[in-house]
Amino acid sequence: MLLLMLEIALTMAVLGNLVFIVYGSIQRSHVSTGVDESRIGLIQSISVIGEPARGTTAGDIAALRNVPGVTHAAFGGPPLWYVERDPVYLDPSRRQKVAQMYEFQGSEDLGRTLGLHVVEGHDLSKDELPVLGKMDMSKDYQYPVLITRALADRLYPDGHALGRLLYDGNATIRVVGILDHLRGEITGRADDDYSIVTEFVVGAQNMGGGFMIRAGDPARLPQILRAAAAALQKADPAHVQNKVYTMAELRQKYFQHDLAAGRMLVAIMLILLVVTALGVSGLASFWVQQRRRQIGMRRALGATRGDILHYFQAENFLIVTGGVALGALFAYVLNLFLMKRFELAHLPAHYLLIGAVALWVLGQLAVLGPALRAAAVPPVVATRSA
Amino acid sequence: MFGYYLDLALRSLKRNKVLTALMVLAIAVGIGASMTTLTVMHILSGDPLPGRSSHVFYAQVDNDPVPGDSHVDPPDMMDYQSAMDLWSAKRADRQALVVNPFPEKVSAPGVNRPPLMAQMLSTTADFFPMFGVPFEYGSGWTPDDDTHRARVAVISSNLNDRLFGGIDSVGRTLLLKKGAVRIVGVLKPWRPSPPFYDVRGGRFANGDTSSFYGKPEDLFLPFSASLEMNDGDFQQFNCWANPPKPGYLVNAPCNWMGLWVQLDSPAKIAAYREFLDHYAGEQKTLGRIRYTETRLRDLMQWLAFNRVIPRDVKLQMWLAFAFLAICLFNTVGLLLAKFLRRGGEIGVRRALGASRRAVFAQCLTEAALIGFIGGFCGWLLTLLGLWLVRRQQTPYSDLVHLDVSMFAVTFVLAISVSLLAGAMPALRASRIAPALQLKTL
Repeated sequence: MLLLMLEIALTMAVLGNLVFIVYGSIQRSHVSTGVDESRIGLIQSISVIGEPARGTTAGDIAALRNVPGVTHAAFGGPPLWYVERDPVYLDPSRRQKVAQMYEFQGSEDLGRTLGLHVVEGHDLSKDELPVLGKMDMSKDYQYPVLITRALADRLYPDGHALGRLLYDGNATIRVVGILDHLRGEITGRADDDYSIVTEFVVGAQNMGGGFMIRAGDPARLPQILRAAAAALQKADPAHVQNKVYTMAELRQKYFQHDLAAGRMLVAIMLILLVVTALGVSGLASFWVQQRRRQIGMRRALGATRGDILHYFQAENFLIVTGGVALGALFAYVLNLFLMKRFELAHLPAHYLLIGAVALWVLGQLAVLGPALRAAAVPPVVATRSA
Repeated sequence: MFGYYLDLALRSLKRNKVLTALMVLAIAVGIGASMTTLTVMHILSGDPLPGRSSHVFYAQVDNDPVPGDSHVDPPDMMDYQSAMDLWSAKRADRQALVVNPFPEKVSAPGVNRPPLMAQMLSTTADFFPMFGVPFEYGSGWTPDDDTHRARVAVISSNLNDRLFGGIDSVGRTLLLKKGAVRIVGVLKPWRPSPPFYDVRGGRFANGDTSSFYGKPEDLFLPFSASLEMNDGDFQQFNCWANPPKPGYLVNAPCNWMGLWVQLDSPAKIAAYREFLDHYAGEQKTLGRIRYTETRLRDLMQWLAFNRVIPRDVKLQMWLAFAFLAICLFNTVGLLLAKFLRRGGEIGVRRALGASRRAVFAQCLTEAALIGFIGGFCGWLLTLLGLWLVRRQQTPYSDLVHLDVSMFAVTFVLAISVSLLAGAMPALRASRIAPALQLKTL
């Protein structure tokens, strides 16, 4: 009896935490990055072939913008790709790191290509942007940036972020606008949404890296992206465009591993639940067999078939309830351990409730067969010498 | 006696096939899940340099002058000045610099195959003997080649297969962006898990470290020659100020070079630690650096410091062992039902003179037999699980296989789990009072 309770407790502890983990990754795969994902395509273009570069980055971007269907184009990478992550400081001596932030850097129009929403302050305008190659390298130069609401609240709890200064590893940064959301990655942590956007005016340089386009019509993005990659190849033959992704593909790639692992765990868990149910069933039928005489006696004394059926069902319900109570404790302990070792979030109580309901149903289903067999025991058994 | 018990066990298992199948299934699923994750863990946590790893060390010096809270540990790599000073001092038994330039297009003149992109490592002559890198043809370059900036190269067996069809290509020429190199050595297939000499920055990876387990580079160049051929294509680990020209790192305020040393005795290790501290102190006096923290970790310590085992792999292993625990409890319940149902038979045996110990042994034999069959099915499930892991396209997919030791562990684990599960039910069965059971027969 105790054994069954322990088994149910353990099943509940593992089931609760597992469903929580898998559900968490499914939920994460639907969290928006804050950019207009359905319209954005990425072309990775790098100059690796042993020829001198012929195009310029400004020319490359112009070529992309001229592709029919492209509304904006910029040099720079989208979220879920390789976004630089840097510490952020509030004092120029950089003594106390406040947080880690994602730094989106690219050519002018980066923000508009990504489709960011400036909710306070103003968007970056061309006349205030630093010009690449003619930059003021002095310590006092302040780069104008957009920062996310989440980062602004983290850095300036008083709510006045506009116009304030902050510092990354090597530059001084001035906040000119605040964005609603921009997530560099989606890991489930709060600092996913700590991002800044810097734009530069690009000129005659030839840079390799990510080029992004924004399509007017999301349905035609794949064709437009292909045409854009071809145009970029033509504008800059010394580059190779070895990777071309739509944002949807990037997202799929980013979560692929998590979801595959999740599916495998769920499959194992389902098999286990079936095995556990069969085990409960096996033990119940053993008890029924042990108590045949007792059942016969009760029947002879006037108990109906329904009484016997309910007796076994109630017994199972009590055992499962005991197991569930113990299981809630186990689940909590296991969750504490996982939180400590793997930085998982706190297990919400409703997962335990769902787990409990699932186990009650499972327990009743498992006991139904043996209980029906018990109910079928004729009263005459009592009179036989056993 | 064991043979007799085995015979009894087989008869008993055949008697109630459903119950037997249930127990075997429970053990097989638990074993399959936990062995799949344990095998992945075993492959990822192994010693990439067995027998040598305790003599191989990674040196760190804190050369970043920017004040802040990041000076608990020195940066993961060094700047040119520090790395060259320490390397050219030759205070260790062997020493090798490691630097990663960006990948480059490689072609072979006179060969009718398309050029391809090769990952590169710039290093020094000691790299090959220090890490016991196996050669198929030729050998590594000499320290002289390092000094004379010789345009030579060692290539991987993979690159040799793809460019030269696997023939002995020593003496052939490879064309790179800025010139040609002569092949002096071709490696045998070499797949350290992970390519430890490239591991760095793990503490900033948030547990997402599967990329450490990728394949080794295809093209190895002497660092001195690479400085001329790849300048402008170097990647920094970090910079504490803007480099004057990105990619040109020789005099840049950037960390981009790693130093591995081999130290064969405890005395030499202590001496080298002292040498590092002395160097840091001296550089501080000269005003070039501001912090004097140094580290000298051996290979396994360095891997542990970088927490190389991906977090999801560890998490899955814990979950799989929780599954196994559930299966264990399940099996306990089923075995209990099975043994106690045979109360009459056990009573007769006891009445005929079998000792408690004999009944206990008989029950355990039956449990072990179930464990063995469960282990066999679990082994098949493990193979299926590993096949699924290989299909997941992780950087370590090609490493995943079941080796002999893990094959043995599968059965040992299955049988120990079943014995553990069987212990309590067997004890209960052996305590059955013969008289009471005989009465009910």
